[in-house]
Amino acid sequence: MIRLLIALTAAVMTQGFSPATTVNATLTAVPGIKVGHHTLSERPTGCTVIVVDGDAIGGVSQRGGAPGTRETDLLNPLNMVDKVNAIVLSGGSAFGLEAATGTVRWLEEHNIGWPAGPSRVPIVPAAILFDLGVGGNPKIRPTADCGYKAAAAATTGVVTEGSVGAGAGATVGKLAGPSRSMKAGIGSAAIKLPSGLIVAALVAVNAVGDIIDPSTGAVVAGIRNGDGTFADARKLLRSGATADRARPAENTTIGVVATNARLTKAQAARMALMADDGYARAIAPSHTNGDGDTIFSLATGRWDGAVDITLVGALAAEAVADAVVRAATQATGVAGIPAVRDLKK
Amino acid sequence: MIRIAIVLALLVQTIETSPPRWTRRTGGQNLYTQVFTSASSVSSVVESLQPASGPANSTLTAIAGITVGHHTLTTRPTGCTVILADGGAVGGIAQRGAAPGTRDTDLLQPANGVDRVDAIVLSGGSAFGLDSANGAMRWLDEHSIGWDTGVARVPIVPAAVLIDLWVGGKPEIRPDADCGYRAASNATDAPVDEGSVGAGGGATVGKLLGNDRAMKGGIGTAAIALPNGLQVAALVAVNALGDVADPRTGAVVAGARNADGSLADVRKLLRSGAVLQRLQGGRPGENTTLGVVATNARLTKADAGRVALMADDGYARAVVPAHTIADGDTIFMLATGRWSGTPDVTLIGALAADVMADAVVRAVTQATGVSGIPAVRDIRKP
Repeated sequence: MIRLLIALTAAVMTQGFSPATTVNATLTAVPGIKVGHHTLSERPTGCTVIVVDGDAIGGVSQRGGAPGTRETDLLNPLNMVDKVNAIVLSGGSAFGLEAATGTVRWLEEHNIGWPAGPSRVPIVPAAILFDLGVGGNPKIRPTADCGYKAAAAATTGVVTEGSVGAGAGATVGKLAGPSRSMKAGIGSAAIKLPSGLIVAALVAVNAVGDIIDPSTGAVVAGIRNGDGTFADARKLLRSGATADRARPAENTTIGVVATNARLTKAQAARMALMADDGYARAIAPSHTNGDGDTIFSLATGRWDGAVDITLVGALAAEAVADAVVRAATQATGVAGIPAVRDLKK
Repeated sequence: MIRIAIVLALLVQTIETSPPRWTRRTGGQNLYTQVFTSASSVSSVVESLQPASGPANSTLTAIAGITVGHHTLTTRPTGCTVILADGGAVGGIAQRGAAPGTRDTDLLQPANGVDRVDAIVLSGGSAFGLDSANGAMRWLDEHSIGWDTGVARVPIVPAAVLIDLWVGGKPEIRPDADCGYRAASNATDAPVDEGSVGAGGGATVGKLLGNDRAMKGGIGTAAIALPNGLQVAALVAVNALGDVADPRTGAVVAGARNADGSLADVRKLLRSGAVLQRLQGGRPGENTTLGVVATNARLTKADAGRVALMADDGYARAVVPAHTIADGDTIFMLATGRWSGTPDVTLIGALAADVMADAVVRAVTQATGVSGIPAVRDIRKP
């Protein structure tokens, strides 16, 4: 009851402090989805937790060649568990998987999880990205404490984007080496149809490739030339000019798409698969051997309209591409790595 | 500086004197990039500008050892396309569309044993068209080509089909074993014919507003050659539910048409919540894009799987939406291993995605209209 009151108060406060014209165009536009970041102060890294109020049907598309994940096998439609309580995205490479342990602890304290006899087991798929080379001691990485704090910080408010949470140490445009890379981070976008269907995305973009705006074909962020212009990884690759490639495991884009539609587990998997096309459109190259690109899907089922999975999947791909572009445009530079807004001065 | 000027002069001259098809595909942009990113590769640029005889082959058969043959039925616009790998090639696959029709795809999984592919068959005719592969098998058997089992050589012929049964005539007419045999017999290393031929004979795109608003798809192919000798090429039969967009500009090239014949751009329609006929209980199985990427690099079977996976990003970029519940989108990968340079899978995969997107765009720009379904060239009057 107290929790409900707090939640209601928080909701009212969020509404109350927002100008009437503000529309939530982030992942939390999907009712029941809360997002919290925790960013470490010692080094630019952190974690982002997506908490599902109630639960959601989950899916995953894992197509990058260098993944770091947990609880992704259970998302296979052939497997039994079909409800997800939270998704954890974290920096810190495989060490960062520990963040999920903290989220599991927070969920257990709140009695949230899959009913299993006397207990409730929190279902928390997670994926990590590699940021150990950015801005300080690589021994500093997100721990269980990070995942606990991010879960505790989760709200239904508009998601903070840029160099925060799992995106704090994220960079892009590394095909010509880290010295020519740019800062990226967390991006989020949402699409609402008149029918009431909502599809939204949140990504932490740490790609080896460049960021492309699919609506124009132009590079948004990526490998820089000496004069600060973009080299365009696509042209470099086609010319055979790249030599100083980034070390292969120092990348990865991870994300979540959510919808208020009612999907089966197999449909959630198809939604994740199609959402992955957003990576292909906005990142060039994507899904390389040096990227652990992964995308989770969540379907809350709170909207009871007729579901067309092609529509949901197509919108998921659109939202992911939008979110990837925002991850670059909303980032702030760290540790000498400039962001888009730094170049535009 | 003078050398660069000479190259630019040669470039201009070559563009002016070459057939439009060749300049379009070899890519002024690519050469421009080479000139400005690597002055040291000037000599190789000059080489690539001056093919030994005739236009350079910028199709799948640019890869030595790869031959391609089409057979197009005369009784209805449908057919099949057979890709032969002389001496075999390491194979891979990406099968991500939701409505596939395939054979011998499981053996392409890296955990499975057979790692040499003799031919790939792409066919119209929906699942009936898988019969085409039987004809390609027979042709290979007659030529004693196949996996050596000790007692016999078994041709390894993965295949995939697209559905075109509603186009231009009786749906009972579809490619059979005879089609596959003839296409295999027709296979040559000449530049591949594009457009409304072979497996693309009855292919269409842009069906989200209904088949009466669709446009003609077909066969497209493109190739990239790097100065170091690495080649990556693609061939595709484009029969997508979605529109075809050019990733270089974001513009729709072919797709669902408005009542006035203009391009509707389904990305905008989908985002607006507009009522789309094919999303309202429409028949879901009338699509599928099928392709092959080939390289002269030496890849492991797992690497070939990764390159196929990355090549699939070319579909995502040039087909919107791609990989839907109503598309059986599939890509096969062939690595001949005739180039002995050190393969970088990220580079090869990135080029495979690029060249696949180029091939998809060509599939619609090279198509010709059939049965009242217009192609790009029918709409864009010069």
